[in-house]
Amino acid sequence: MSENTKQNYLNHPKGIMSWLLTLDHKRIGLMYLFSGILFFFLGGLLALVMRFELAAPGNDIISNEVYNNAYTLHGAIMIFLFIIPAIPGALGNILLPLMVGAKDVAFPRLNLASFYIYSFGALFAMYTIINGGVDTGWTFYTPYSTQSTSNVVPMTLGIFIIGFSSILTGLNFIATVHKMRIPGLTWYKLPLFVWALYGTSLVQITATPVLAITMVLLMLERFLGIGIFDPALGGDPVLYQHFFWFYSHPAVYIMILPAFGIISEIIPVHSRKKIWGYKFIAYSTLSIAFIGFLVWGHHMFTSGQSVFSQIVFSFITYFVGIPTGVKIFSWILTMYKGQVSFTPPMFYALAFLFLFTIGGLTGIFLGAVALDIHLHDTYFVVAHFHYVMQGGTIVAFLGGLHHWWPKSFGVMYNQTIANIAALGVFIGFNGTFFPQFLLGLRGMPRRYATYDEQFVELHSYSTFWSGILGISIFIAVMNLFWSFIKKNKVDPGSNPWGGMTLEWTHTSSPPHPHNFEEEPVLQHGPYDYDKVIVEKTYNK
Amino acid sequence: MSEHHITPLRTYLIIAASLLFLSGVTVWVSYIDLGSFNIVLAMFVATVKASLVAFFFMHLLWDDKKNLTMFLMSLMFFGIFVTITMLDTEFRGDLGLNPETKDPINKRAAFYDTLPLTDTHGHPVDEHSDKHHEDKDHH
Repeated sequence: MSENTKQNYLNHPKGIMSWLLTLDHKRIGLMYLFSGILFFFLGGLLALVMRFELAAPGNDIISNEVYNNAYTLHGAIMIFLFIIPAIPGALGNILLPLMVGAKDVAFPRLNLASFYIYSFGALFAMYTIINGGVDTGWTFYTPYSTQSTSNVVPMTLGIFIIGFSSILTGLNFIATVHKMRIPGLTWYKLPLFVWALYGTSLVQITATPVLAITMVLLMLERFLGIGIFDPALGGDPVLYQHFFWFYSHPAVYIMILPAFGIISEIIPVHSRKKIWGYKFIAYSTLSIAFIGFLVWGHHMFTSGQSVFSQIVFSFITYFVGIPTGVKIFSWILTMYKGQVSFTPPMFYALAFLFLFTIGGLTGIFLGAVALDIHLHDTYFVVAHFHYVMQGGTIVAFLGGLHHWWPKSFGVMYNQTIANIAALGVFIGFNGTFFPQFLLGLRGMPRRYATYDEQFVELHSYSTFWSGILGISIFIAVMNLFWSFIKKNKVDPGSNPWGGMTLEWTHTSSPPHPHNFEEEPVLQHGPYDYDKVIVEKTYNK
Repeated sequence: MSEHHITPLRTYLIIAASLLFLSGVTVWVSYIDLGSFNIVLAMFVATVKASLVAFFFMHLLWDDKKNLTMFLMSLMFFGIFVTITMLDTEFRGDLGLNPETKDPINKRAAFYDTLPLTDTHGHPVDEHSDKHHEDKDHH
């Protein structure tokens, strides 16, 4: 092996400045990945504090005020600092240029700027935590958010800044997909993860500015007393919710679309079968991105919006089910008669199918106005949201990490431990959140530190399993990091799962600093398992 | 774009005149009371003006069609946001029922504050409506 092939983006160039000022998309992706995981643990810790407080009905561990801070920060950190930036920022950055055969993203300096803008915004969020927290809930609903004495301003300012990072990443990815593909890599030959990132980026650049506008309007009202949302000043409090959800509903798709992309990669590779309905999956991504803009009012069924709007929003909401169903059925049909191997990424993908389907179907319940009026602000909504976001996005993210870990770092983790951890995540997750559907149906409201005696059994059950869930995620992530210490290296030319996309077939593990030693030539489509035999190669 | 489009001066002058004319229209319609339709009209005229600037002065019309698509998409999303939000603000409190011709759904809803309060049998009631709301919730 030549000296050149031993060089990879991790060891060349060396030095701390080569990391801090790097323009390499893979290094920037890694920086996103580690910051994302850090915030994930912080948010997870807050979740566990809340769960243990809820193990018994009274205020046993923390006061109501601290609880208010805990759920606000849990939501804000998980959504704005982890889920939204992490998958596009980490896996997207590392993989998108590799998948389209490019040397880097279209604007490498802008890419680094996005990371620093994200870090700068995150500093504001950290300041909020140190300075005593914020207690409005992650949605910052007016009129409370304009009156609360907690740190609404630094937190919303942080989110405002992070929003720009999202917009710039989106812009960069769109330009990369349009302009940087190698010759012959037409739209219908792109891996579906690229399609998913493209759809996500479109939503990021069209929806995120509205969040920035909302946060600016909120601050204008707080500081200058301009009546926008406060009725006493001639404003309209429900208008805030329109603004907020016009961004935040599409943001749900910013969070879930990359996860769909990951699943679309994992399932065909680990089933060794051509993906079923490629074009359907690709277009369903775009249609979800579009329909996502038309349904925001379903968060506002009890906010006092007009009955006419409620009917319109409820009706349109059901349309989301069509493209989502197309994806789920396509993935199942891909596995049908495939050579399914039960590797850790595949375990996560199967868990995703199960959990996301429950999350999606309970969304249909909540989309019905009459039922939502009863279930609004109960644990049913909490459970639904977590089935989609944790059971969907985070499980897919873990699956993606396990899938591309040997590619990104050239080391393989212990697969048995990874499988056990995946099983622990699956069981722990269901144990934690399924009882919350029942709690919600029985009337347990969300965002309370104390509750009625009748809910003790389900709450303590949920708390017990949340501990198992937390430990399992910890083991899963530690198992990944342990592979660095254990130095269980995979061969630079190996392809442990038998992937067919360019990052598996045309570059080493970990990749070369310039991605490809020579410009890759496309020999087959991303999932042509019916035409080409790709060997699974692990070590020499 | 590789080819630079040269626009005749005549076109620029026509567009400038149209912009001035449309500014006049904006001022003129502000004196006519059309209710909430005033805002719709004002936004429409402003959109037309902004589009003229983008298409001709900024050469969007002769530029890469992808840029045009992006521009139209942003207009579309803005339109969606404003239109659907107005479906709420314009119809808020309206249950779509005319109390003169149809039975109201909830006789104590804020919408019917002007009507005298009655119990379920239609007899007049003097009590404050809050108590009834509580009762209803328990049922």
